[in-house]
Amino acid sequence: MAAQRDVVVIGAGPNGLTAAASLAKAGFHPVVLERRPVVGGVAVTEEFAPGFKVSSLLHAAGPFLPSIAAELDLAKHGLSFIQTEVRVLSPGGDGKAIALYSDPHKTASELERVSSHDAKGYLDFHATLGRIGRVLEPLLTMTPPDLDDPGLGAVWDLLGVGKKFRALPRRDAFRLLRWGPMAVADLVSEFFETELLRATVAARGIYGAFAGPWSAGTSLGLLLQAATDANAAGPASFVRGGMGALTQALASAAKAMGAEVRTNADVARIATRDGVAAGVVLTTGEEVPARAVVSTADPKRTLLALVDPVDLDPAFIQKVRNYRAHGALAKVHLALDGLPEFHGAKAAGGPNALSGRIHIGPDVDYLERAYDAAKYGDFSPHPYCDVTIPTLTDPQLAPSGKHVMSIAAQFAPHKLKGGWNGKRETLGDAVVETLAAFAPNLKSMITARQVLTPLDLEETYGLTGGHVFHGEHALDQLFTMRPILDWAQYRTPVRGLYLAGSGAHPGGGVTGAPGWNASREVAKALRR
Amino acid sequence: MSEKFDVVVIGGGHNGLIHAAYLQRAGKKVLVLERRHVLGGAAVTEEVFPGFKFSVCSYVVSLLRPEIIRDLDLPRHGLEILPLDGTFTPMLNGDHLWRVNDHAKTRREIARHSRVDAEAYDEYGKAMADMGRFVKPILGMTPPDPTKLNWKGLQDLLFLGKRFRSLSGEDKYNQVQLMTMSAVDFLDQWFETDPLKATMSASGIIGTFLGVRSPGTAYVLLHHYMGDIDGAFRAWGFARGGTGAISNAIAAAASEEGVEIRTKAPIAKIKLQAGRATGVVLENGEEIDARIVSSSVDPRLTFMKMVGEKELPGDFVEDIKRYKFRGSSGKVNFALDALPDFRSLPGPGAHLRGAISISPSVEYMERAYDDAKYGRYSRRPYIDMVLPSLTDPSVAPPGKHVMSCFVQYAPYHLKDGDWDTEKEKFGDTVVDTIAEHAPNFKNIIRHRQVVTPLDLEREWGLSEGNIFQGELTLEQLFFLRPAPGWAQYRTPIRGLYMCGSATHPGGGIMGANGRNAAFKLLEDWKRGKA
Repeated sequence: MAAQRDVVVIGAGPNGLTAAASLAKAGFHPVVLERRPVVGGVAVTEEFAPGFKVSSLLHAAGPFLPSIAAELDLAKHGLSFIQTEVRVLSPGGDGKAIALYSDPHKTASELERVSSHDAKGYLDFHATLGRIGRVLEPLLTMTPPDLDDPGLGAVWDLLGVGKKFRALPRRDAFRLLRWGPMAVADLVSEFFETELLRATVAARGIYGAFAGPWSAGTSLGLLLQAATDANAAGPASFVRGGMGALTQALASAAKAMGAEVRTNADVARIATRDGVAAGVVLTTGEEVPARAVVSTADPKRTLLALVDPVDLDPAFIQKVRNYRAHGALAKVHLALDGLPEFHGAKAAGGPNALSGRIHIGPDVDYLERAYDAAKYGDFSPHPYCDVTIPTLTDPQLAPSGKHVMSIAAQFAPHKLKGGWNGKRETLGDAVVETLAAFAPNLKSMITARQVLTPLDLEETYGLTGGHVFHGEHALDQLFTMRPILDWAQYRTPVRGLYLAGSGAHPGGGVTGAPGWNASREVAKALRR
Repeated sequence: MSEKFDVVVIGGGHNGLIHAAYLQRAGKKVLVLERRHVLGGAAVTEEVFPGFKFSVCSYVVSLLRPEIIRDLDLPRHGLEILPLDGTFTPMLNGDHLWRVNDHAKTRREIARHSRVDAEAYDEYGKAMADMGRFVKPILGMTPPDPTKLNWKGLQDLLFLGKRFRSLSGEDKYNQVQLMTMSAVDFLDQWFETDPLKATMSASGIIGTFLGVRSPGTAYVLLHHYMGDIDGAFRAWGFARGGTGAISNAIAAAASEEGVEIRTKAPIAKIKLQAGRATGVVLENGEEIDARIVSSSVDPRLTFMKMVGEKELPGDFVEDIKRYKFRGSSGKVNFALDALPDFRSLPGPGAHLRGAISISPSVEYMERAYDDAKYGRYSRRPYIDMVLPSLTDPSVAPPGKHVMSCFVQYAPYHLKDGDWDTEKEKFGDTVVDTIAEHAPNFKNIIRHRQVVTPLDLEREWGLSEGNIFQGELTLEQLFFLRPAPGWAQYRTPIRGLYMCGSATHPGGGIMGANGRNAAFKLLEDWKRGKA
């Protein structure tokens, strides 16, 4: 038997494994407990049809913070990212498409053909995001300050951000302040006049959210992304071998540093002694004692399902209940025996037009209507789709000559009117029909299909409400308020219990940052 | 040429008049110029049909700052506020929800729908009162400029920070939510009764182009909770003689101080000399010189029309062009032969003396918004109606009534058609909607006046028909109102100030804008910087 385990990490997703690796590196002895038979959480590669593999949930990395990848030496453990020349291809309703490249100048010169106003606007937008992103970047890896008792470290960190903020040109400083609460539909119209371009960029603000482009606060998503990758086209960072390869590398790194990773280990509850976390109890009845419990399950699951309510104040429980995590993202995976052709793709993006993300949602109203349906408890008959064909850059995911298509479709509410029973394939059909309008030969190529509703995301992957980000990225649920005001320092009211998943700062999207930051706080507390 | 006036104020609405009164009190010589034949701007009473006096635009009052009422001694000048008791929400299933000022009664009524909600209602009221108290001092403060903090600005921010920290944990939590959430998300945490949530959430959308589920609307909810009349928190009322009586009282107070007021004096442009405002030119060519020009009309009119783009820095022009108006509401005013008879609570009764809210469910409210999002007026709009003649018989002939309906959504930009052709159809929609709840309604209408967002723009000078001179969304509030860097009542033109609803703290008959701006102007004057 290895060393006595002193920290239990619940969940072997990107954050759980990052936390474990980091804690092991700091000299602790963590054990990671994963409910499913595979590690990965929201970053997992699975076979959905014989020979066809796909990133089951999120299909692009957040991107994973390079500083963490370097610190944990993930490249040595097999992690390799794929960057594509075309980041986003966006087919319009009129048979024409636009392509956004990794190189903003190339994008701008392509946009010149559509609108020179937008070509200029695109570069301005790109540059602004860059400047703002550099101000916000340090926030990602800091522990949000406790407003009642900001420690010296937090004040120091914030002063650093404040200094960077003051160094911004005045115009950018105001943009940063103005954008936070703004509707992304308004933001894009400040820079662009072409509807297709507006919709393509606006979609970044609503991905994974229960909000349409006209919802206030949706610009915030762009600011968050700017902090990790300030490209105007939005992140398109793929992992060779699918997202699962990222968590495999993390698991390998964690083990190499001395962490233990157990699968099929389903935590039933968090054990406490005198109100202090003392370990966990598995569904098998096995007890795993520990000095600290680090949960990367979402806040609701952790605090409402795993913690005994008597250990928490009722007012706090009420706040956790009110934490918003209404998922509206569904996944559809297609096994294809050929490569579909999208209208206007080649003309806009050349031979590699489809290798990044494909955006389906030709105008802002289209995106908004897709959201409208979800407000009333229906799924949208014409969903907004974020599509990837990972086999174009990573052929190992399918048999030779075949392709995989991964579609994130919005909006499909977790709480569907009348329930999801029997509706799964209807949703799948709606998604395929929607895509077929832009890629007419798609339907004839489909040999297998998998549909994951938000309810599946909850039941299979343990995401409360089926929310891929463990809760809405809204102004009142970020930074010092994620998940709840006064509890954003990864601590919880149960001493020794920590939150380290996407429900903690800086939120979801496979950055590894919540796990990384939380492990720092855990280590600090354990050394005290 | 000698300067005749120290300050000329553009616009004789409540803010312009209050601004003028405070300046004159401080010893300045002030002239107010109003384009229309009556004073009041959007706070106006007009006898639209013989014997029927309508509060044509703004129709209830609560937000007028008590210190202004006190400073200007408005009751002596004829201001009398009559209470508006309660809100009645008819439901389509034949039931109703009727909240009144009598606390015990309201509790029983809500308990009829949900016992849990009756409990929560008390707590909610207390929490909102706390929040209102927290926000109130902000109303009277000049927003700091966060990009170039001087000592004063830093002090202001620290003051806010300290105030925030002194809130209890619960209040802090609520405050943050109020600043960011949607009205419905916020109310969902307290209540389960659908018509209750729908009716309460309505105050979150008034005058904005947002739905009850749009983040940011919870703040507007609070904005409407900040009023007090005679110390009764969150009380709404009518002015005797209609809303115009408020403006008349302020005008009387201003005149007594010595302010000169001229109506029918539309302004063509603001005179500039070496980049400094030196007076105004009326449409008839008359020139009026002044050391300072202070505009209470909205920034589009002030800067794009009266100053001119080429006189202003490019960034500022861009910001003003981007400033969002997006009028979303209209008014329909009725002269009635009798009282409407509601299916869900028949007969005349006290429920007709308060506000009557057509907001039967959250989904109803949200669908009304969806229509507007795609460029049409709501097929079934949210309507807030009042019958002031029941409380103040002076506004209608004996036995007759006036009914004022605030209607949302009526987007300024229609996708198909224009407001000149849609106007009466819009009026019909309102009548049909009310008739669904009050079947006798169509038979009691004697006259009807439809006020579209286009009318608000043309007749009352509110760009795009926005009743608050610009949307009350977070990115247009506090130090961002009306433009980043220009939230301190000053403008890029020296000698030109802003004092209307497009400045901090926003719209509604509050008057804080005009008062704050007066103090800022006087401060600058004293330091020789005006």
